[in-house]
Amino acid sequence: MIEISELSKSFGNVQVLNEITFRVDEGQIVGFLGANGAGKTTTMDILCGCLGADSGNAKIFGYDITDTPLDAKSMLGYLPDVPPLHSEMRVGDFIVFAAKLRGLEKNRIPTRMNEVLTKLELHEVKERIIGNLSKGYRQRVALAQALVHDPKVLVLDEPTEGLDPNQIVHIRELIKSLAGQHTIILSSHILSEVEQMCEKIIIIDKGRIVEQGTYQELVTKLDTDNSYVLRVIDNAERLVHELQEVETISKPTYEPNNGAIEFTIKHGAPPRSLDTIAKRVIDGGYGLRELSVKSKSLEDVFFQVTH
Amino acid sequence: MRPNFTVTWSIALRDFRSFFASPKGLAIFFFFLVFMGYFFHNFVGLLVKAQQQAPAMGGQAPTLESMFIALFNNLHFILVLIVPAVTMASFAEENKNHSIRLLHTAPIRPLHIVLGKFFATSMMMLLVLLASFIFPLFTIGYGNPDIGVILSAYLGLFLLICSQLSFGIWISSMTKNQFLAFLFTMFGLFLLLLLNLLTPSLSGGGVTVEILNYLASGGHLNQLIKGMITFKGVFYFICFTSLFLFFTNVVLDSQRWR
Repeated sequence: MIEISELSKSFGNVQVLNEITFRVDEGQIVGFLGANGAGKTTTMDILCGCLGADSGNAKIFGYDITDTPLDAKSMLGYLPDVPPLHSEMRVGDFIVFAAKLRGLEKNRIPTRMNEVLTKLELHEVKERIIGNLSKGYRQRVALAQALVHDPKVLVLDEPTEGLDPNQIVHIRELIKSLAGQHTIILSSHILSEVEQMCEKIIIIDKGRIVEQGTYQELVTKLDTDNSYVLRVIDNAERLVHELQEVETISKPTYEPNNGAIEFTIKHGAPPRSLDTIAKRVIDGGYGLRELSVKSKSLEDVFFQVTH
Repeated sequence: MRPNFTVTWSIALRDFRSFFASPKGLAIFFFFLVFMGYFFHNFVGLLVKAQQQAPAMGGQAPTLESMFIALFNNLHFILVLIVPAVTMASFAEENKNHSIRLLHTAPIRPLHIVLGKFFATSMMMLLVLLASFIFPLFTIGYGNPDIGVILSAYLGLFLLICSQLSFGIWISSMTKNQFLAFLFTMFGLFLLLLLNLLTPSLSGGGVTVEILNYLASGGHLNQLIKGMITFKGVFYFICFTSLFLFFTNVVLDSQRWR
């Protein structure tokens, strides 16, 4: 369980975090979303004890990272944005070193190393020098060091960065499989990734948390506009021009690639405004193929709350 | 899952091995031994010459011990160049490639990290010192030196090296740039060396001169080189080493609050 309350941090005159508060329950996977410079890495660095906060506190299973750092850190596995690797070491030796640093009992090290090597498909590079590995392998070795001691809490800063599409799928599956036994907080700028993996999403912008909740909660909360998708057989462009004259709708746009016209019915429009649109399409002889409610994606939510 | 002091040992071993993962470790051996060999060769030549000329000149012939005093004092100069090369990467490299986060997020105290780094560099320099023992061994083969004095000198050199290493590690902990760490360490050690040359020429007595004299490492080293193991001398080096290890600990601890 992770509890962050009223965490603030500034670097010089720049306020990077502004009274951030959130909570991750035991066994939950939480996605931390934000643009570059939003404060994701700073929050994670503070949570893991690499940085100190100006005010507020961060607790891991009740242990404050400032007051009881050793207890808090003993439950922690951290994959930072830049993989913390010793490039001159062999993969196997590095993982053993990381395990010893984390205080894993000597007799458990071979078993745990074997498990993470299998989970992350690293057996074939076990004897290779880390500096000679590809970016994808290095990222996986960095993930292995975060997992080797079987921590209760995993903090992953952009875990799929630098991986190829197959590896991305594999790592996502792996992270999802860790839910339940581990409490996981992961940051990403790939929205679909967060949508797929995380039970809860926290959106951070300019050092403030602007939204948090499950994917459905966020989408429902923000789905206040009545946006629709319309597809016709003929003369879609002419129809767009025609719709622009209708007072009850705004922003009709046409995407020639998929033939979709998107429009929004304005607030306060008469309840049966959609009937009028449908009637225009049918009477105009455009050939109605589809008229549906546009489902909001995480991209829409993210764009809306950060602009 | 509570770590203990073995973590310090793991850090020390990893860092020690990293010296030999590149030619750096061998270069340190090479340059130290080449410089020391050069001085040894020259001083032995001078000693032999002086011993041959002494009876004709009517003076007293220099002894093997006086040759060693000159040799070990000259090593102080070599160490000003070698020690910064050993310590420059200690923290600067980890700060640069972000592997320092591995240490910061581990359930260990900053002191464990500092001591790990210190032991790694000490082991490295201890090996270099052991290798350099080949030169005194030559004199044992061909002459009759006082082994006790040589061992005392080596203890002095090791204590001096430990103090220099702690200073270098402290400098390295404050930067990401290995070259800057090297330069500042060399500059600092050189200033300390200069202090030895400056203090005798300072006019007047007083507390300042006394303090500067005590701070200069040369005097304490000289006693040990001459075979005098005094509490004052050993205490000086232990204090110096502990002080800079403590400073490094403070730097490491404060990084979390910047």
